[in-house]
Amino acid sequence: MSNERSPFPIPLLRFWVLRILPAWFFIGLVIFLFQIMICAMVHDDKRIEAWLKLLDMLPAIVKTSLGGDMLQAGNTSALIAIGYQHPLIMLLYMLFAVGVPATLLPGEIQKGTMELILARRVTKTQAYICAGFITVAGMFALVLVMFLGTVLGTSIYDFGPALRLYPFFKSAVIGGLLASAVGGIALLAAASFQRNIAVWLTVAYLVLNYFLAVFTEWWTRIKWLQPATIFHYVDGPRIFNESAWPLDDVAVLLSLLVVSTVAGAVIWSRRDLQL
Amino acid sequence: MNTIECSALTKRYGAARGVEDLSFGIEEGEIFGYLGPNGSGKTTTIRCLMGLLAPTSGQCRVLGAPVVPGKATRHARIGYLPGDFRIWPQYTARQSLRLMAALGSSNDTECRRNELADRLDLNLDRRVGALSKGNRQKVGVIYALQHRTDLLILDEPTIGLDPLISQIVLDLIREACESGATILLSSHDLAEVAAVCARAAILREGRLIELAPISQIVRQGERRLKIWFAKGSQVPALPADRLPGVRVISQDSDTLHIAYQGTAEAVLKWIAGFPIDRIATPQTSLQEAFMQYYERQAGP
Repeated sequence: MSNERSPFPIPLLRFWVLRILPAWFFIGLVIFLFQIMICAMVHDDKRIEAWLKLLDMLPAIVKTSLGGDMLQAGNTSALIAIGYQHPLIMLLYMLFAVGVPATLLPGEIQKGTMELILARRVTKTQAYICAGFITVAGMFALVLVMFLGTVLGTSIYDFGPALRLYPFFKSAVIGGLLASAVGGIALLAAASFQRNIAVWLTVAYLVLNYFLAVFTEWWTRIKWLQPATIFHYVDGPRIFNESAWPLDDVAVLLSLLVVSTVAGAVIWSRRDLQL
Repeated sequence: MNTIECSALTKRYGAARGVEDLSFGIEEGEIFGYLGPNGSGKTTTIRCLMGLLAPTSGQCRVLGAPVVPGKATRHARIGYLPGDFRIWPQYTARQSLRLMAALGSSNDTECRRNELADRLDLNLDRRVGALSKGNRQKVGVIYALQHRTDLLILDEPTIGLDPLISQIVLDLIREACESGATILLSSHDLAEVAAVCARAAILREGRLIELAPISQIVRQGERRLKIWFAKGSQVPALPADRLPGVRVISQDSDTLHIAYQGTAEAVLKWIAGFPIDRIATPQTSLQEAFMQYYERQAGP
């Protein structure tokens, strides 16, 4: 039979998951502990007031990058949400989003092991799906860990009944979509280029987007550029102030994830790998 | 039915040449040599056969199915050893080989793997990164042979191995053939190919320049004749007009060492007119035969 199908390569998926797991665990642990640490900080009114004063003394762009005008004493949700958009957390997500596809696709090619994998009963598309699944599922799992950190932090440090966790859950899910969309872009780069080029392109895309998001928030004359950044579609005030889900933002992030992932799959399946 | 069939296979890398218009077939149960120097297109052909590269034009069939690039066509029935075998250095050979076995057919490979490791004198429980180059190549040989497959595609299987282990690998190839497998053995070493193959193809600059039984390839090289003339007689000058295709390799006061192509009849007729002490026919080594063959095909 010329059209015999290769079974899905579960052993490859398991092998790659186990390879990525230590890095995922480390990143997850830092993100988890960071959320608890933020809750501990926010719980102490005196410390938070001192910290906000310090923040006001720094250039305005720093405050903007951490949440902007929402950061006020008494706005507990916004202050806890710092843990969701702190540059360290962003950096960790970026490391995972960029590192995983680059390690699994061009990384295996450059190591010479992709040739061995594809010489077994594994199609190129299946290898791509494995890498894509690990990237996207890993991202969502990290976001879940982040939310669990908030849940644990808010139960250790009592903030009273006024603090609702549902907006944090919404924020985490939309943040997960954002992270997955970044993962999709990283997959597209990994499917198209060699490892170093893929890493640099994705990092450049993210850094550009991040600073564009911060600058457009801070400098009103270029506010019209906001929709051009991927971070615009995780709108903190909207998530926390409106009960409904921001479906238009969700749609944009989902589209970005699907388009970049599918484009990566098409390029990956068609191009000759530099074995 | 041929187990491997290439029809007008062409692969170009942009402007660079890969292989050009290759057509050949490999019969079931045959050990087929695929000869050529580095860069002649052997690996490109093999990667097209494995679906790792998409041909620019033409088609390949393996085990009766057209090869679709990236679709693992018939890979459950193919054992493959790449020319540059590399595997995860941080894992033991056994761990990596187990993964590769799990990605293949469902038959149990543990016994076969251990048997091969014993024969090749390899400790499977050492990290690959700690192994010597030769031992890493042994891991590659096990990677290719741990499944009982219908087709083996081996790209330079003995590279980096010592002569004793190379011999064992050639024995394993013969045994695989005896148990019914078809084997494509790519090499730049004619002696290795001649040791196990009945038929071979020779590639030069991406083109097939010969497809013939090994014996014929070896025969097509120059033959040699060393003539000792009787003491006191002069060594005659070679009459180039009467003996085209004959050249002098060396000459001294009473011996003449010549190389000729075709039959020895004309040479023997010529020397019959001189007082001869004795004649010897030194064997042309396989490597020399290959080089001569190759140089002749390359032309002036």
